[in-house]
Amino acid sequence: MIRNFFIYLAVLVVGILFFASMVLFVIPAFQESTVALVGLSSGSSGSGEEGKDKASIEADISKLEKKLDSFTPTNAYIVVNTTDNHFFLYKGKKLIRDGMCSTGKNEKLISAEGENTFYTPKGVRKVLRKQPDPIWTKPDWAFKEEGLRVPSARDPSRYEKGTLGKYKLELGNGYMIHGTIYKRFMGQSVTHGCIRLLDADLEAVYKTMEVGSKVYIY
Amino acid sequence: MKENSVEDFDSLFVKESGRRKYVILVIILSVLGLTSVYTYLSISAVRDQMNVAQDQAQGAPEINSALFTQLKEKAWLESRIKMAAGDSIGLSIDLEQRLIQLELKGVVILSSKIRDSSISGFFRKMDGNVYFAMFGTPLTIQQFKSSIAKNPFKIIQAPKDTIAAQAAIDAAIKKDSLKDENVFWNVKFDRNFEMNIQGIDSITEAQNKYKFGKGFEFARNLKNIVNSFQHILRFTKPSYTPEILISIPENEAKAILRALPNKASVTIKI
Repeated sequence: MIRNFFIYLAVLVVGILFFASMVLFVIPAFQESTVALVGLSSGSSGSGEEGKDKASIEADISKLEKKLDSFTPTNAYIVVNTTDNHFFLYKGKKLIRDGMCSTGKNEKLISAEGENTFYTPKGVRKVLRKQPDPIWTKPDWAFKEEGLRVPSARDPSRYEKGTLGKYKLELGNGYMIHGTIYKRFMGQSVTHGCIRLLDADLEAVYKTMEVGSKVYIY
Repeated sequence: MKENSVEDFDSLFVKESGRRKYVILVIILSVLGLTSVYTYLSISAVRDQMNVAQDQAQGAPEINSALFTQLKEKAWLESRIKMAAGDSIGLSIDLEQRLIQLELKGVVILSSKIRDSSISGFFRKMDGNVYFAMFGTPLTIQQFKSSIAKNPFKIIQAPKDTIAAQAAIDAAIKKDSLKDENVFWNVKFDRNFEMNIQGIDSITEAQNKYKFGKGFEFARNLKNIVNSFQHILRFTKPSYTPEILISIPENEAKAILRALPNKASVTIKI
């Protein structure tokens, strides 16, 4: 009796394994085979191009390629990868410099006074203003984050020279490309949304990018 | 009496052996029957999907199929230009040139070489009307599933004093890098097919490693088996979803996942 039970069980297990392997491997392969995939292929095809010849379609392709190409700025622009914290400086389609950067830390800081969100927004921006030797006006969150009392708006403790490095390029809404004194964090997502660069990279970016140059962030 | 008992025992053994064979035969036939039913339903599902694709392509004017390559290239460029009209980051995938690119306003902001790829037979069978109905305009992502967080966001309580602030900074620095992550993501498109992107650092890895990310494949297989029983019992067709699997370097798989908005546009050339 017990022997029979084990025999039935073994046959059942083999059956289940057989069925599972069929469901997972054989039937999907069968679905992909020509036995299943019939009738989709059509001898003649259409996409609204009736009457056009090869030369005119190739001329259309050439026009479209030019149009697509025209989207790429001919002057300098920068691409920032916020996942790898890497920047790429281009002039036209030519990469002229790349290196590490630091971008937003993707954090929400909650305090008694409210919330502050720190991230680098993805999309395209323009350089709105360039400035050498910038002075950083510390916003309220900078004090909250350090566990300090928030001073009044014109308190001298709000102004810091050197923190932003030698240059800043403003991108709007308080976001900037600037330098840093925290060079050991370079390559990490540690900023409050700005893009930090090392000194030499910042200088190259500052000198290459003009007001109006595009900044592509992903 | 003794002899009879031996005969009884022998006949019992023969009877039991016969019954055992019968039960085994029933089990085998049941399994084969269930498998056949499921195979039939699965193939019907593929054909239904193909009929849907063909119906969607109905009505387009006919053209010379000798121009298919040129028209495909034209449709690909037109689709990318349409994508450039939007303000969001989009994805273009050229399986012929083995290139995957992030594009923003028509500018290529990330370009990665595809290391390995495979497509369902469904796509290999399509041409003409069906191809253009599927890939002639940008696709829209309907759903993301990923092995890593798409938008990682931490919520931090402001520290009470400078000592707590320093401790928070130290803790953040100590946090390990993301080196050991398995990067895999899956998207569903608005045109009844899916795409799987896996991060790999070598071709061998693409073939041998997790393929569908940690836990993904097991969960998916288990779901398939459970679903197959349900379909057999109800005699309903399982859904057939054609798939594209793309393997690219791990850091790029991650960067693309995090760059794309939730309803991102995607242009594909096969």
